Amino acid sequence: MRQLNCRLGYRPNHKPVTYSQQVIRNIRLSMCDNVLACTVKTPVALQIGDVKTDTARPGVFVIDVAFPQSVNLQEISFKNYYTAFLNVRLQKVDPESPESGAQWVTCLRNHCLMPNPHTEEGSQDYFSIYRQQMLMEPDNVTSVRLILRQPSSVWLNFTLEDIKITECGTENSEKSSSWFSNLTPVEQPMNLQAGLPDPEKVSSCIQQMWALTEVMQTNQTSARVGRFDVDGCYDINLLSYT
Amino acid sequence: MANALQSGVVPVTDSRSSKPDTDTEFLTQVGAGAVLRGALLKLLEVRSEDPIGFLADHFGNLAQSLENGDSGSAVEGDKKKQHQQQALQSSEEQNQHARALWHLTQAHHSQRSAFNNNVAVAFSLLSRGGRKRKLGLKGRVYTELLRRVCRDGGVAEPVSAPLIKKLHCQDHEAVPFDLFRHAVLTCFVFADFVRKSRSLFETVSPSDGILCRAVLGSLRDALETTGCSDPARYLEASAKLTPGRLAQAMDRAQTLASGTPSTHMGQEEFIEEASALFISRVKLVS
Repeated sequence: MRQLNCRLGYRPNHKPVTYSQQVIRNIRLSMCDNVLACTVKTPVALQIGDVKTDTARPGVFVIDVAFPQSVNLQEISFKNYYTAFLNVRLQKVDPESPESGAQWVTCLRNHCLMPNPHTEEGSQDYFSIYRQQMLMEPDNVTSVRLILRQPSSVWLNFTLEDIKITECGTENSEKSSSWFSNLTPVEQPMNLQAGLPDPEKVSSCIQQMWALTEVMQTNQTSARVGRFDVDGCYDINLLSYT
Repeated sequence: MANALQSGVVPVTDSRSSKPDTDTEFLTQVGAGAVLRGALLKLLEVRSEDPIGFLADHFGNLAQSLENGDSGSAVEGDKKKQHQQQALQSSEEQNQHARALWHLTQAHHSQRSAFNNNVAVAFSLLSRGGRKRKLGLKGRVYTELLRRVCRDGGVAEPVSAPLIKKLHCQDHEAVPFDLFRHAVLTCFVFADFVRKSRSLFETVSPSDGILCRAVLGSLRDALETTGCSDPARYLEASAKLTPGRLAQAMDRAQTLASGTPSTHMGQEEFIEEASALFISRVKLVS
């Protein structure tokens, strides 16, 4: 709330950041290990006139993200901080003809983050941009340029925080969907042979046995009796072959 | 009739204050309030599943400890005293053993905080030791306790032997608390596991051994899926154990084996194979 421009006397309705959003995002990102290492440069303001003497605040910022090698992007996720609109441009290299220089293409045009730039809605939310939403296939990308726009003069600063870019991981998505597609829907009648035991009872027994084994495994301790320790180190004569 | 009742309850006012007049006075004189308070506090601490049984055991133990105390003080002669003391010690040890075991059986292992409490109490009981008052649980006592837990849980000796072999400690080794807790929990969980596999056998067994093997195969499959720590694997493993999938697996096994002669699988064999799945995942104590 320190961003308020008090001269205007404007009081936007305060919307707290949801904790659950952050938790879900962290779980998702930790589950896929494809977050790329990249350098995020400091935002550069685009302004007409002299940056130092002009008192008007900039309405456009540009954030460049560079990769050490060309990558295929899966997702760009970030936490918004009072940015209203976002343009995303990618610098791609052609893998077949590397001598022709990298080209800039626009993959996302005027993506709206805040429905009303003067109000708080969406101002501190977490966003993710997937490759399906992009206009061009984000393959062989060497650099990403995020162009932030905030037309409202209510806010002192605006930027994007915590920018994470995920690489395209083909194996993970295939694995997780394979057993999904194998789930039998309940309505489908199964042609089973007669004389089979009740699957519900069998399933419940086996599930409990599985759960008991998991309980035992998760409670394993790393405590040791120190059977073969001699003054804290291993003595070769005491090691057994079992 | 009312008159008769009333006459029974009418207090006799006499000068002797030591003689209790009503039931309440008798109880307060004897100190029953303190005993009951102690018993209820113990009950809250242990959180037993069978509170009445717990109270009965508690009072029985109390009476027994009072008896032991009395017999110890009434001995004459040096040799006799020594002998008595030794006998007392071993019987005390057995007593402690029994009490520790009883503490452990009070709360089911699924009630995690109550069970952990009881394990801590049992550990402190067993590691108090004999006359020397040395701290630490001896390996011999620990192994014996694990055997008793398995036996009381209804697990036969040959079935629990491989598990005890993995968890046992040498007689002279000192067992830390973490290891004790893990091993006791494993034994209780194993007892439940064996009980479940017995009921599973009863559900599946009217058919032949092919289905038993198919069912065990599904369990092995699910256990192997959750080998790594990826949380999505749990969903995958549980998807393999739905009634639909199991019915399909059993159906497939039966159609595949329709030509071959049916092989019968006994209960012991089934339980042995199931426990092998469990025991192979227990970490060896070192």
